[in-house]
Parts: sequence; structure tokens; C-alpha cells
Amino acid sequence: MSIFQLHVNGRLHTVDIDGNMPLLWALRDVLGLKGTKFGCGVAQCGACTVHLNGRAVRSCSIDVGVACLSEITTIEGLSPDGSHPCQKAWVELGVPQCGFCQPGQIMSAAALLTATKGANPTDEQIDNAMRGNICRCGTYPRIREAIHKAAGGSSS
Amino acid sequence: MSGIVKITRRDFLRHTGVGAGALVLGCYISPKGLFAAGLPDLPDLFHNGSPLNNFVAIVPVQGTIIIMAHRSEMGQGIRSSLAAVLADELEADWAKVRVHQADADGPRFAIEHPVKGGAPSFLIPDEGSQFADSSRSMAAYFKPMRLFGAGIRLVMVRAAARHFGVDPADCEAQQHKVLNKRNGKSIAYGDPLLLLQAKKVAEHPPTVDEVQAVLKPRGQWRFIGRKMPFVDAQDMVTGKAVYGADVDPKRHGMLTAMIVRCPVANGAVKSFDPTAALAVPGVKSVVEVLPKGFPGGGVGAGFIPHAGVAVLAENTWAALQGRRALKVEWNLGSNATYDSKAYRGELEASTNVAGKTLRSKGDVDGAFGGASKVVERDYYVPHLAQAPMEPPAAVALYENGHWEIWSPTQGPELTQHYVGLAMMEPTPANQLRGLTWQAADPSELPKESERTLQRLFNEELEKLLGVDQAGLFKIRDDLKKEIRDKVKVHVTLLGGGFGRKSKPDYALEAAFLARQHPGVPIRVQWTREDDIKFSYYNAVSHQHLKAALGGDGKATALLQRSAFTSFFATLFPGNELGQLARAAYHNGGKDGYGSGIERAHGLEDMLFDVPNVRIENCPAQNHIRVGWMRSVANIYHAFGMCSFADEVAIAAGRDSKDYLLELIGKGVVLDEKAFQDQGVECFDNNGFPVDPVFLQGPDGKPVLGPDGKPIVGPDGKPILIMPPYPPDGRRLRAVVERVAKESGWDEKVKSYKGIKGRGLGIAAHRSFLSYVAVVIDVSLNEANELTIHDIYAAIDCGIAVNPDRVNAQMQGGIIYGLSYALLGEITVKNGAVEQNNFDDYPVLRIHQTPKNIFTYVEDPSAEVASGYPGGDVPPTGVGEPPTPAVAPALANAIVAAGGPRIREIPFWKSVKVL
Repeated sequence: MSIFQLHVNGRLHTVDIDGNMPLLWALRDVLGLKGTKFGCGVAQCGACTVHLNGRAVRSCSIDVGVACLSEITTIEGLSPDGSHPCQKAWVELGVPQCGFCQPGQIMSAAALLTATKGANPTDEQIDNAMRGNICRCGTYPRIREAIHKAAGGSSS
Repeated sequence: MSGIVKITRRDFLRHTGVGAGALVLGCYISPKGLFAAGLPDLPDLFHNGSPLNNFVAIVPVQGTIIIMAHRSEMGQGIRSSLAAVLADELEADWAKVRVHQADADGPRFAIEHPVKGGAPSFLIPDEGSQFADSSRSMAAYFKPMRLFGAGIRLVMVRAAARHFGVDPADCEAQQHKVLNKRNGKSIAYGDPLLLLQAKKVAEHPPTVDEVQAVLKPRGQWRFIGRKMPFVDAQDMVTGKAVYGADVDPKRHGMLTAMIVRCPVANGAVKSFDPTAALAVPGVKSVVEVLPKGFPGGGVGAGFIPHAGVAVLAENTWAALQGRRALKVEWNLGSNATYDSKAYRGELEASTNVAGKTLRSKGDVDGAFGGASKVVERDYYVPHLAQAPMEPPAAVALYENGHWEIWSPTQGPELTQHYVGLAMMEPTPANQLRGLTWQAADPSELPKESERTLQRLFNEELEKLLGVDQAGLFKIRDDLKKEIRDKVKVHVTLLGGGFGRKSKPDYALEAAFLARQHPGVPIRVQWTREDDIKFSYYNAVSHQHLKAALGGDGKATALLQRSAFTSFFATLFPGNELGQLARAAYHNGGKDGYGSGIERAHGLEDMLFDVPNVRIENCPAQNHIRVGWMRSVANIYHAFGMCSFADEVAIAAGRDSKDYLLELIGKGVVLDEKAFQDQGVECFDNNGFPVDPVFLQGPDGKPVLGPDGKPIVGPDGKPILIMPPYPPDGRRLRAVVERVAKESGWDEKVKSYKGIKGRGLGIAAHRSFLSYVAVVIDVSLNEANELTIHDIYAAIDCGIAVNPDRVNAQMQGGIIYGLSYALLGEITVKNGAVEQNNFDDYPVLRIHQTPKNIFTYVEDPSAEVASGYPGGDVPPTGVGEPPTPAVAPALANAIVAAGGPRIREIPFWKSVKVL
């Protein structure tokens, strides 16, 4: 066990945990931030996607000892009130079905829009950015549409 | 040998959701059900709301209307859609509607039969009222929700009339208030003065006939048939939505359990060494999941968990590390020889010879003898795992002899019952006691064959228990009550279900572990590997299909043989009592044959209008836990038959779509008589009646009212209780025609003839009472790489209650179908599943998803609608029906694009999936 300082959603948390604990479990079990989901544990499904300094990463496969060096943003901190353009587009277009993967999908999509500096990504860019996020309900067509909408564009 | 029989006849059978005779619900409902007097204590969440019935409460002053969601939300949008139906009839302001998830409480949501002493006693029985499977939440509760909403509206109108001192005819409910038409004044639903009057009015509630009379006509619906908001969306996109693993009962010291399970079904723990696991920081205890001497799980033991050893720790990471360090020795048992590769050969051999004839028409063998051409093909579908995004997880707390469970479950009351049954000591006496769960009054069953089986079961059990029928029912009812008192089940959101979460084994694990740690909340968390390796797999199936063609290319005979392992082989213990219990499911799983439910998934209900038909079920023995996956047996039956239809079309030199329409013909309607004439013993029909059901006893005689007179409608005719839901070829034809038109089939087929490597495929299938046709447009390049361009799909699901969710379910169901068609395969070696995670059990990703999935809702034709009261064809399944036709449509498209004929899943073995 060691002391780590985690910068999560603009707040500093001091935790005494195993430095090899994946960030996912520190967020969920230690900090009680349960919006980040466990889907596979091996960076295959993207349900646990969070931002490290604005980049989308799989929190199941980043140790706390590494994550503590970066600013961490989870779905809870993406916007103060659920008003991130992706969150709004997701609700307006009724993207979620079971909803379990959607925090991860939205974190990946938000990072994509940051990378394109808000420009409307092509379908190919979306596929590349989102292929690490599995949705078993099959909301992919609406996810594509919502990303275009969040970028202020129409689907290409 | 398991000590406990874990299924109740009603849980799954036709009584489920809306059961058989039970299914009985469409147009009539008891006043008692509308306004339950003497309600049990309502949950705290009702605040000080004024409970109007089991589904609705109104919070005074603010006027919020709380609607109970009694069915589980797993992405199908049922929390939104059922609430919208009720709110529409109630004339509620949607902005003031809140949906609250109900705990397991089957009796509260059951619907009593309107007439006591009639049969059956329930229209929707207690044990099936919350079981969200078989795509029937809307089909079952559309009418009740409308009646509840309209009934409350009528009470509000009458209450307002008292308040205003006018005639009810002068009052009208609109938008959450009641208007006094005389003076233009209105009173809000939440006004305490109105609620006070409503309480008085509800002492003499409106009769069913009165409520029926004020149901809104279709043209006045405001929510039904419109795009309605998805009530959980905002929570889901902000991370606030609570799933199974997110529950924290807010008590100190919840422990997380990770379990090492026996890799082979029905194996047992030989020994284990906890030392290394206990040395991991944070690990608190290491215990066997099942108590010593408790029968192991797996095949034949239904919902009892796999034998396993649990590591309980302060957090998930510690539990995972502890599990890694744990050493366990197993007694693998007889299933350790199961090899899915070898098993495929067994199934093929099984379909090489005649099986049990399920349905037969004409002279099939004679037609083959005189055929100009015979086409004969085999199809294979491996085990598949549901793999919902949320791996199974549940929380349990045991204190003072009571359990509290939080579970993402499709079957809240199922979880409650099986936790209760499993927690009994597995003594012989308790085995018998548990079996009484399946005791039922034979006279309540609609068909003689069912009544006979039930009678045999009752009599045998009565003998063993030394009681008469009344005594039997008393033991059953006492047990039910005891379990309901002891076990409380809260339902979280489900991170996907797809059939996996209709099996409560993971909640039972939590309950067993909680029992060993009184006062400590226990969270059982499955990993993805656990989910892939310990699923209830969709059955392996081998199909053998054979058609005779006349000189004109028309099909003159069709032979359909199917071998598949039945869910019920998993569910029922292999001992004598289990065999007995099985009888209630028409011996599903016995001697390797399918249950009535599985046989009704595209086997007995095959809709091609060919003069000579024989449908056979060939035996398949079970060696692993088999369960159901989204659309279940339709997966393999649609893949076989719809692929075969295309192969026959090609053999006949005909266009695939034209030939498909020719096979369907004008459209046969398989009513009860048709089934009888063709020898089908007891067609399940997803639990719904094939023929209309009128208010009458099983003997066909009218039911007498309290006054001793026969109960009839205002027209003097028997009252229709349920409309008919026959397999209807006309509706199948209509969706094929629609999708052909929308996809531009004829023009595209012509133009693609000149394009190398481009092709269209079509398939159509009825399942869960709905009709779906799919056209898929693909390319196959010279490197054998597949591209799926567009998908077109049409559904006839009766009234499309929430079209946006219908569209979402169609997109999702089609993607689910593509996923298993292209990539899905679970293999077993030495009794253990070989796959682990999404790397070796891949599922479809966004870049593999076609850009366009166009969906269309096809309204039933005027001819079809004329068979229903008011011309309203009732809503039917939406969650599963879009899936089955996808795999065959894709296989057919690949052939049209110049690719190989694919007769087995997954397709990646035949074409390259990028």
C-alpha cells in the first residue's frame, strides 16, 4: 500500500492503496465514482474509458501509480450538469438502450471532438476513434449520428 | 443430483408474462385489479403519495404521478413505454410523470380473472407478472396499462364532478387536470381536494365495462404510437444510472466476492488451499460458495451456481488478486468428456435419421419419390454466449433469517423464488416441498394434454407427501409466502440481458455467500471471463432440410429436421422427481427432445405453404448449461430454413425474393384447427393463444356470474378476453413485400448482375408473435473480404407503441444478429469452454456495422385487422424478432455476391470480416 494523490474531475484525492490497482477499481471502489464501468478488464471493450489529460484511455489497464501523474476526467466530471454536447446529443437522439457502455462511448466521443477541435469528424474518423468501444445493444448507428450532431454537423 | 427443483411450471411456460389460458387478457379485467383495496404497504418512495392502484400513485400538491415499472429495463425501453401507455390513458402531463422500479412482488402485479370460480383464476399469474423474457412485456401489459390509466382518469372525472357539484358528464380530464366544462374552471390532479374526493369515489370504483367504455380511441392517443422520451437517458449519459455492480447499500464494510468456478458443468470442489489468497492484502475470507454437502451446480441443477470457491475482499482488485492466488482441485464429473467438435458429428448423425414427427401434412415421402429435383442441405449453429456489456453482478445481505438482494435481473420474482428455494437445506423433505412450486390446478389449464400432465404431477407429489390436492396447494402456498417474507429483491438497471439475466445463478451466489457472512453486504462481481465461460449458452443445433421440386420448379414437399439441446435438460435434475417435474413442460429436454417453447421457435410454426410438409425433432443430449439467447431457437431455425429457401430458389432458377413469396403463397393462417389437423400436440405460441379466447370455462361452457346467469357481452355473445395470435402467413408476406419495395430489390438485382462481387440477400421470419423481413446488400472483393453496405428491415408488430424504441430495437437486434452470424462461436473441450474474453469471443464493433440500417413498421393489412376488435391488431414482440432473419439474409447476400454458400455460423470461417 502507498499514498497516491489522484486528480479526478478537478479535485484532489489522497488514497492509500496498492499502486498496481487499475485506475478503474480505484475510481469505483475507493472514490465511489461508479459511472465508469467494468466490461472486460483487458482494454477490449471501452466501458471503462476515462480521460487522462484529455485523452481517452481504458482505466482498467492503467495503474493508479501511472494515472496519478495526470489530470483524470470521468463521466461524472465531463460536464457539471450533463450538458456536454455529446451528452446532449446522446439524449436528444435517444442513443442509449441498456446504457451500460455509454459513459465509455461518450468519453471516447468527447476525446474525438477535442482532437478534431470541434470539427465534424468523418465516419471513418468516428470508426477509428470508437472501434475500441463495444455496445452489445447495437447503438452504433445512433452513436455515429450523435457524434455528428454534437459536432454541430449533420451525418455525412 | 440436485435437492431442489428450481423451476416452476408457471415461470417459463405459457403462463409466463401472460400465460396460456391465462393469457387471457385483452379486453376484460377485474375491478379489483383496477383499484386494489387494502393495498399492502407501499414503498417509502411513494412519499405521501396517494396510491390509486398497484401501478400508480399521485403525490398531493405537486401532482407528480409515480408509475411503477414492474418489468426490468435492459435497453428495450420498457420503463418508458409502459409508463407512456398508462399516462396516455390517464391524461397525464408527461413532464409530471416519474417512473419507479418495483421490487419483486409478483402478486401485486398479477391480474386476476374477472370471474371467481372461472378458469383460470389469473389472467396474468403472480409468478409471471414481472418476468421480462420472450419479448412480451408490451404484448402482455398494453391492455392492462390502458385500463389502469383510463380507470384512474374516470375516477378523477367523477371526483371532480363531486368537487364542482356537477354531473360527471360536465367534466373532462385533460393534461393532468379535470375541466368543468360548465364554467371553464379546472382542478389539478394533485389538488388535495380532488384527491380527497378521488379516495371516496374509489370506494366504489368504476366497473370494467365503464372503464372499457372510456378507453381512448386510437385517434386520440397522445403518447401511444408517438416517439416518447427515454426516461433513463439522462442518468445513463451522466454516469448516474445504477446497475448491479453499482449498488452500495450504504452499510459499512461491503465485501466484493470473486469466485473460482469449476470449469466443467456439474463438477464439484475436491479441495482448496486458501493460504495464498488470504495473504493478499485486503482479502477477508475464502469460502466455498455452496455449503458442504450441497449438490453441485451445472447440468441438471438449473439455477444452482457452479461449484466454486469465493475470495471475499475489501475491494474488487484485492478479490481479483486473491482469486488468482487461490488453488482449487476439482472433481470434474462426467461432463469432462464433452467436446463440441465431436458433438457436432453426433448431432449430424441424429438428423441423418428420422426424428420425432412434430407436424405432418400430405405425403412427403411420396412427393420426394415423384420429384423432378431434390435439394438437401445441412446447417449448423454452435453454442453462443449472450455476453451482455454488464457482466453478471449482484449484492446480497443476510440478517436475522432474511435476505435482501439487489440484482440486475430479468426475473425479479424468479430470483426471489430461487433464492428462497436454494437457501433451504437440501433435505429430502425440502426437495418435495420445493417441488410443490409446480403444483397447479389442472382445471386452470387450457388444453387436455396439459391438464393430464399436471394431474399426473400433482397425484405423484400428493402420494409422496401423503396429502390430498388441497393439502398440496397449502404446502405450496405456505412455502411461497415464507419465501416472499424472507427474501426481498430490488431490481437495478440491467447492463444488457439478452436472456443471460433471466437466470438468477449469480444472485444465488451472492445469497449463499451472504448467508455465510451475516450482516455484511456481499457483492458478487463476475469478470468477462466468468461471463464467457459460465454462461447459459444458446443451444448447439444441426438442421437437415430437404425439398422436392416439381417440373415447374415449385416446391412440392418440405422436410425440416432439427436437433438441438433443450434448456429444460439443464433446468431439471436427472432424478426421478426432476423427471416428474419435467412433465409439466411437455417433457422438454427428456430423451434429448425440445420443449414446447423451443419447438414453437420456427419449427412447428413454419409458414411456407408447401403441399407436403413434415417437421421432425431429432434428439440431442446435453452436456453443458444451456439457456436462451436473444431470439433463442429462432436463431438456428431461421438460419436453416431461410438459407434453404434461397438454395431452393437458386436450384429452381428463380429470383430469391420471388421464390420466397411463392413459398409463403397467399399466406396460411395456422389456427388451432390447422395445428390439430397437422398433428401438432400443443403449440406454445410464446404463451399467447392461437385462437381468440372467450370468457368461458375449459369445458367451453359459459361462466356463470354471481347471479347464476351466464356472463355475456352487451350483444349477448361471449365476451372476448384475448384476441387471436395465430402464425399468419399474410403478415409474413406483407413484410417481405414491404422490404423488397423499400430496398428497391427488383431494380438492384437487375443492376447488380453487371457488378462483380455485389449482391442482395433476403430472409423473413415470424417470432415472438411479430413478423420481420430483412434485405442485406453486400460486396465481396477478390480477396474474399466482405463489406455490408445497407440493411433494410420491415417489422409487423401490431401497434408500434413507441416507434422510436421499435426502431432502436430493430437496429440493435439486427446488429446482434450480424454479430453472431459473422463472429459468434463458443467451443468446448474436455467439458470446459475455450473462449475467454472479447478477444477470442469477438462481437460486432462500430467499424464493422453497416452505415445504414433502414427500418420500417408495416401496419397489418385491412384484411388482417378486420379480425380484431376495432381493427386494432395488438402489440407484439420487438426486442427479439429483428434478430433471426439477419444471418440467413447475410448468407444469401454473400452467395448473390458470388461468394460461397455458408451453412454454418460463424461466417468468418468462410469470408473475411474486416
